[in-house]
Amino acid sequence: MLGHSVMAPEGVQALQVLTVMLGAPLVSGAISHVEGRLQGRRGPRILQPYYDIAKLFRKETVVTEESSWVFLIGPVIAFGCYLIVPLLIPVLTTYGLPLGYMGDILGGGFVLALGGFAVAIAGTDSGAPYAQLGSSRAMTFGALIEPTILFVVFAVAIITSTDLPYALAATVRSSSAEMVGPSHVLAAAAFFLVVLADTGRIPVETHSGTLEFGMIDEARTLEHSGPPLALLTWGAAMKQLILYTILINVFVAPWGLAASGNPAAVALAVPSLLGKAVALGLVFAVIDNLFSKLRLFKITEFIAAAFLLAVLAVFLFFAGGG
Amino acid sequence: MHSAPTTYAGVADVIAVLVLLTEFAMLRAPLLRSQVRLYMFQSLVVTALAVVVAATRHIDELYVLALLSFALKVVLVPNLVLRLLRDADVDLAGSSVLGVASMTLIAIGVSAFGFFAVGSLHVHSTALPTTALAVAAAVVLVAFVLIILRSDVVSQAIGFFSLENGISVASLVVAAGMPVVVEVAFLFDLLVAVVVFGVIMRVHHGRTKTLSTDELDRLKG
Repeated sequence: MLGHSVMAPEGVQALQVLTVMLGAPLVSGAISHVEGRLQGRRGPRILQPYYDIAKLFRKETVVTEESSWVFLIGPVIAFGCYLIVPLLIPVLTTYGLPLGYMGDILGGGFVLALGGFAVAIAGTDSGAPYAQLGSSRAMTFGALIEPTILFVVFAVAIITSTDLPYALAATVRSSSAEMVGPSHVLAAAAFFLVVLADTGRIPVETHSGTLEFGMIDEARTLEHSGPPLALLTWGAAMKQLILYTILINVFVAPWGLAASGNPAAVALAVPSLLGKAVALGLVFAVIDNLFSKLRLFKITEFIAAAFLLAVLAVFLFFAGGG
Repeated sequence: MHSAPTTYAGVADVIAVLVLLTEFAMLRAPLLRSQVRLYMFQSLVVTALAVVVAATRHIDELYVLALLSFALKVVLVPNLVLRLLRDADVDLAGSSVLGVASMTLIAIGVSAFGFFAVGSLHVHSTALPTTALAVAAAVVLVAFVLIILRSDVVSQAIGFFSLENGISVASLVVAAGMPVVVEVAFLFDLLVAVVVFGVIMRVHHGRTKTLSTDELDRLKG
């Protein structure tokens, strides 16, 4: 019976959001489990992030006297932003869904940036020095990494003559030559570094550390508690899965996606995405264990390297090597 | 084994880009030893490019060239420089005039010039996609940036040697069937350069007890 029916595009689109929302803690849990194993520990349970979030939702919210409503609304806005982005990117399907053409890659980037801004301003509003330091740093490095993202988008745009993420994924799927094209390889590598920086991974930040001086993203949420902290933790996991999804389904391996509204194909696309995301997460976990954190003022070198890759991708295209 | 031309072009371009990226890595490598190792890697990549061109285009002389360039540029030259460094035994960290991010930005600007200058020449080659030529020009220009911005003898020598790597890539693009004698003459040039730079390093180190050229600002000895 199922094989003959076709899911409504709106339904698939809702499923994209649900996949990212409900799958994100699983991916985070799998990564920290493997990380623990790589470090010779048993590591937390794979489902641990779900228990953490559930626990935080049951806790009370503590707000300092200095804080205003911004402190409480920030996590909600950020969470909302991370719910919107999966509408715009190819999470489960190869074809564009009704709301998929609402915004291009830049649009998705803006919504992600708005989420980051909401978290940062909520951290600033707490009045606590470490949260403010984290917000300030996150914004500074966010601004520095922005040119790289722009050049990656330029590279994508000139390869496909459009900046819709669906179009690039289709171009990559169309031929193996596209996969080894230098512009594409460089843009993908640059975006890989961007994901590394944006998810707060090791060359930039120790994501599981407790030392405030080295923190960037982590420090922003130090003052939050209860349900807002649950939203922030959940949102961070979703942002991570969203960035992984863009890297996987747009740049590196846009396979295993549903080509039609066939429920079986769509149902298969969900574990396929989560599996690919966990595999990518393993790469990040290995990188976490191989390298040490950069000194704060050396992060510009890391960003310069990412920028170099993205700029070369654009140059190469103009030199005829697209 | 003959792969599809587009995939071949892509692979060749990626190899050429690797050469350029190593050049950029040399620019930021803080330790002189790591710079020499990067040169070793870059030469290996150039050798691989020669082998790829030889295999795909059936130009047998290129195998000889690849063998020679492997022996010279991957084994002999880096080991000579490393031995010189071991004898010198001072300031293993190179010095640079600017910060890494600024150097990278300058080098990006310079390589952009190389890319677009070559792009406007409309050179066509049967052996390699001409993108590799643009990349080679960028390699040469970034090597100049390396020589200018780093103020130690080793970086300048390595910059000069890697400049030769850039020219090798260019010669593979423009004239894959160039008589092997000419190619060998290039390699011989490199050998002469190694001897010259070796003497410079020794004399410089003997006089100033350092490898930094910052010391060369006094006229009397």
